[in-house]
Formats: sequence, structure tokens, C-alpha cells
Amino acid sequence: MTTNKMTNAGLPRRTVLTGMAAAGAAALMPRRILAQEKITLRWWSPQSSPEQMAAYRTQIANFEAAQPNIKVVFEKTSDEGYAPQLAAAFASGDVPNVVTHLPSFAVSNYWRNGLLEPFNDVIEMIGPEKFYDGVNRIYEIDKGQYAGTSIGNSSANVIWLRKDLMEKAGIEANPRTWDELLSACSKMQGGGIYGAPLPYGRNSMTSLIFIGVIHQAGGMVFSPDLEVAIDSQETRDALEFYKAMREYCPPGATNYSWGDSLTAFVSGACATGVYTGRVLVNVNNQNPAIADHITCDTYPTKSRDIAPWTFNDFPSVFIPKQASNMEATKQFAAFLYDPEGYIQQLHAAPGHVLPVLKTIAQDPDYLNDPIIEKYRAEVDLMSEAAANGFNLGWESPEHQPNTRAGEVVNSGVIAEMVQRVVLNDENVDVVLGETASRIEDIMGA
Amino acid sequence: MTTLTTDPPRNGLSPLERAYARLGVVLITPTILVFLLVIVYPLLAALYLSVFQIYTPTLQGGFVGADNYIELLTGKAFWSSLRVTIVWTVGTLTLQIVAGVGIALLLHQNIWFRSLARSLVLFPYFLSTVVAVLVWKWLFNDLYGALNQGLMQLGIIDMPLDWLGSMPNAMIGVILVGAWKYFPFVVIAVLARLQTIPENLYEAARIDGAGPIARFWDVTLPQLRSILTVIILLRAIWDFKEFDLLYLLTGGGPVTSTQTLSLLVYQEAFGLNQMGQAAAYSVGMMLVMLVFMVLYIRQTKEKA
Repeated sequence: MTTNKMTNAGLPRRTVLTGMAAAGAAALMPRRILAQEKITLRWWSPQSSPEQMAAYRTQIANFEAAQPNIKVVFEKTSDEGYAPQLAAAFASGDVPNVVTHLPSFAVSNYWRNGLLEPFNDVIEMIGPEKFYDGVNRIYEIDKGQYAGTSIGNSSANVIWLRKDLMEKAGIEANPRTWDELLSACSKMQGGGIYGAPLPYGRNSMTSLIFIGVIHQAGGMVFSPDLEVAIDSQETRDALEFYKAMREYCPPGATNYSWGDSLTAFVSGACATGVYTGRVLVNVNNQNPAIADHITCDTYPTKSRDIAPWTFNDFPSVFIPKQASNMEATKQFAAFLYDPEGYIQQLHAAPGHVLPVLKTIAQDPDYLNDPIIEKYRAEVDLMSEAAANGFNLGWESPEHQPNTRAGEVVNSGVIAEMVQRVVLNDENVDVVLGETASRIEDIMGA
Repeated sequence: MTTLTTDPPRNGLSPLERAYARLGVVLITPTILVFLLVIVYPLLAALYLSVFQIYTPTLQGGFVGADNYIELLTGKAFWSSLRVTIVWTVGTLTLQIVAGVGIALLLHQNIWFRSLARSLVLFPYFLSTVVAVLVWKWLFNDLYGALNQGLMQLGIIDMPLDWLGSMPNAMIGVILVGAWKYFPFVVIAVLARLQTIPENLYEAARIDGAGPIARFWDVTLPQLRSILTVIILLRAIWDFKEFDLLYLLTGGGPVTSTQTLSLLVYQEAFGLNQMGQAAAYSVGMMLVMLVFMVLYIRQTKEKA
């Protein structure tokens, strides 16, 4: 009946068959050829303060305006939660397109297991000549192949100081050595104010800060050829210092992580702090009464002949290999460095994430920020410290890239070592021996 | 009709009975399929994974036989976490039962605002665990927490207490929060049972001279035994595998003092990316629960 009606209406059978064939062919065409098809890109980051979210919205809106057939969705993760979330995503194949702000040592681990797309194309799109020297070196795990790149620099363990409290306590200079710091904390502690908010919790902050303390004692966790080197006199000294600092930390520091430690200084409850430049914006927004009295410096070392060691986690950008719409994904990853959005992102927490592009660091739009103008000396100090910074994935210029560093941090083995010695008062030799053995197991797994 | 009556039954079943049997199979098939999908498959998958060394993000790895189980049996991690799990489960369950029965008895009385109180008491149970933990962490906070401030103002302590970062405070803290969060479940169940106990039992007890305490032990408690059995069984299972509340409150610390088996499995699977070892720990955890359940069922059967 239908065929008769169609033929009666003037459509010959050949035309109908040709039309059906064309429709079938169209259905079999690769989806990406359909120019107007809307595609969605997923962007993950553990950095999601309200100001940063506003910057991300700008970046997404600008990109979507330039690419009308692309929609970008931002999804939050966290510093403590990204590892399991990404593990599940990789295992299921349901991965985000772009991931930002994870520490470089996490990226190297994923790269080593074949989970990431080479980032060379994106670096080329951004312009390799725009990056500061050495920024991309930490991501060159295999010769000529980049696992990702830095979206910024950070100096996670600078010491924050209250100049008013120092003056009141008769302290003339910023503490340079541990002895000077202990003395300063002793003098400033009192009247409801503690000396320092060092973390002693079973979390990544304790691990990362204490790795810095080991280096500030002149030691290291791994030797340059990645033999476990934590069982050393320098680590013993670091543990002794950390234990001595306990009496100057709030009682709850035994459970402190990043947020608690930051708040303890910003609120005025502690005379010193240990954090990135996020302190600047938080103090100005949340406790402006102390905004004119804060400054920062590199964290003190055991003695003056040991150079400061700044923890820079080289906040990253990378692309999972299983990501869909790879071409659009790479375009978006490169677009994150577009000056308008990138500068807004850096201004979301001035000094917290520092620019990795020379062109941006010298851009008047970047420098024209009230916080950066007010604390220019501090921002410059952090920039220099971060540029010469390291982390467990790359402990010194002599070290090989450590692709298991993420697992060492996530295992909590270093934080547990701190807790066992400082809180439980266990035998240092026994704890260090067991810690070294556990790290060797992780490296060999 | 003739066919039905004259056709000899095969295997002792009439055609009608065979038709019913087929219908039964058809009706039960969806249930069995769901059961296979959500219980048997994950169980078999856990057993399968546990004999491999598997890197979590790629799910790639090699066969290691019983190595993961040898590590489970000979290493300290599993046994330490098992001990912590038992302390946590017994501690929080005991408090839940005591508080739940006590408040259910109170709400069974003819008190003012009884309806309002019955509604409010459910609040902790309905509250998201994340929100509940945030509230409690705020209360426990050393610098601004209401708990420390209150105790200091009352002169009970001079300096703030470290509630979640040192032992035994951390274990006491998580047990208290767990009991607060889950006791309303006990209240709901016990209150429902209390309302069905015949009043004449209490009248008879009064005539026999029984006071309130004697009536509780000799009338109320025996009547509650069956419901308490179910509550204890269910809550023990749920508390044994509790994860989010402990993870968010202490992360298993200090050191591993509050690291239960669920946290150990999570740490192994996603912190160390060792899915095979994590699966072995999960199987061990399941076997422990199985032993408890078998013992419990035997016990209740003997009493019955």
C-alpha cells in the first residue's frame, strides 16, 4: 500500500532506493564529520575556589564562543581524592578530556603506565618559546615526549610570618635556621596564639611538607638513581626538629591538612604558617586586620650552609589517552593559556599559582592586580623559589624522574613515619628501617 | 478435559503442575539474573582479582597465585585493621543499642511534644554523612570548636583537647559520632515494636507487684528480643563495613589507629593501586563477616 501511494505520488522506485542508500551512508559516516554536531569536553581540577571557578567560567565561555560546536563541563576533584577518582576513570575508560593542577609526580606515574596522550602538540600550539626554561623538563619523562606541562608554578612550603608579632617579641630578622625558628615560635607563642600550624595528620600535606624538611636537613628520600635513601642521619635530624616543633603547634595539628593549616595562620591563631601564596588573598578577604603585617620567606633549614628547598608540585595539565574528541581536547588544553582567561585564573589566587609563561609574567594585565602590587616582594620571592623548586618526582637536577612518587605519597608511608615518631614516640631506628622497607616495596611493586 | 484426565503424568507431575512449574521458572528468572549480576558476579570477580597483581588504573597485571593471601595472613596490616574494625563495631553498636532503646522507651511515654520529638530524633540518620562529619569536625576543632570552648569555659580542661588526632580520643570520637549518626535506626525499629506489646502483659506484671525496672527486664526486653536480634545483625554488618564516616573524620589515623578493613581495602586499591591485594583483603573481610554470621545464626537457633 505504501509503495503504491509513493509511486502514485510521482516518486519512482529508483529515487526512493537512492534516497534510502544516501540516508544509510550518512548514518555510517564518522560522527566527527558532521560539522554541526555538539561535542562535550570534560575538565577536571582539584583547584576550585569561588574565584578560580569564576576564572574557569570565563575560559570556558571564551572557548565555547570560538568553537560553537563544543561544550566544556568543569568537574571538581580534590587533592586527597583525585587518585581514586582517576584510577576508577582510567579503569572504566570514562575519562575526563583535560585534567589540570595535579602534581607532576602523579602525571609521570600515569604516563609510565601508558595512560596519557603525548602533550607535544599542545606545547607546540602554546609556543614552546613562551615557557620559562626548565618548566617542561619535569614532564619529559621519555626523551622528546612530554606527559603534560605545567599550568603554573607553586611554592608550597614557604614560611609565612606575622611581622607585628615578631616585632612584639623582639625578633629582628626572619628565621633562617631551625634553631632560630624554634626560638621565634617560643617567643611568639602565648595569649591564644600558637607558633606554627605544621601538619601531623595522616595525609598528603604531612608527607609533602616533611619531604621538604628532610631536604632542609640536607637529606633526600631517594638517591639520584632512585635508591631509597630515607634511612639517614638527615631524616633523623628532620624528625627531631619536627618533634621539637610539636609543642608550638595547635593540639589539633595531629589531624591537620592543607585547609586546616591555612586557616590556622589566616585566622591569626598561629604566628607562622606554611603554605603557598593563597595566604595573600585569604588574609585580605578573611582577616584584613593582619593584612599589613604578613610576609613570607623560604622555609628555614637545619643550618645556614644548607640551601633552602622549595616544594613545587608543578601543577599540571594533561590529557588521558582514552579521551574522546582528541583534536578538540588539545585545542582546549592550549586555550587554557590564552592570556585573558589564564591571567584571570592566576588572579583568582594571586601568588598561589604562578605563571609559567614568560609572556604572561611580564604582561601588565597580570602585574596590575592589587594583591600582586601590594605584595610584590613576596610574589617575587615565591616565583624565584618555585622556579628553583623540586618535588618527590624530581628531588634535584641530578635525580632521575621518579614515576612511583605519587604512590609513595598516596600510600601515606611518610606521614605515618612522622606520626609514629612524633606522636607515638616510637623508636626512630625501627620506624626508619620499616619506612625504607615499605618504600622499597612500593618501588618494586 | 479427556486429555487431561487420561494423559499419564510424566515424572509424577500433571500437565497443569508442569505448566505452573514453568511459570514459576519464568517468574523467578529475573530475580536470579539480578542476583547473579549484582552479587555472584562481583563476588567471583573479587575472587578472580585476588589471585593477580593488578595495577588499578589499567586493570593489567600478572597471576600471582596465593601470594596476596599469604601477605594477608603473614602481614600486620590485615590483622591490625581487623582489630580496629572489631573495636569500632562493638563500641559504636553498643552505644547505638543502649541509646536507641533508651530513647525509644522515652518516646513511647506520653510526653509533651512527643510527635515533634519522634520526628527530630530521626534527623541524624537522614543527614548526609558528609554534612554530619563537617559539623562534628567543626565541633571537635581545637581552635574554634564548641566542644573545647565549652569544656574550657566550664573549667573542665585548661587547654583544648585533640579529639581526632591522638589515641584513644580518635577512636572514642569516631565511635561517638557513629553512635549519634545511626542510633535513630534502632529507635525507629524498637519504637514500632514497643507499640505492639499487649498492655495486659504490663497490667499482669503490675498486679504481681513488678516495678518499672522489673517490668522492663521481664516484659519489655523479652518482647524486644526478636527485633533487637535483627537490629544487631543488620547494624553489625553495616558498621563492620562502614567507610565514609571514618574516612572523612580521621582518614584512618593517627597512624593506623582508626584504619578499619574498609579503609585498608580503599588504601590498597586506590592509594597504592594494588587492586589484587585489595581484592584479597575484601575476600578476607567477607570471610570474617561470614564466620560471625554463621556463629550468630547458630546461637539464635539454639536459643529458639
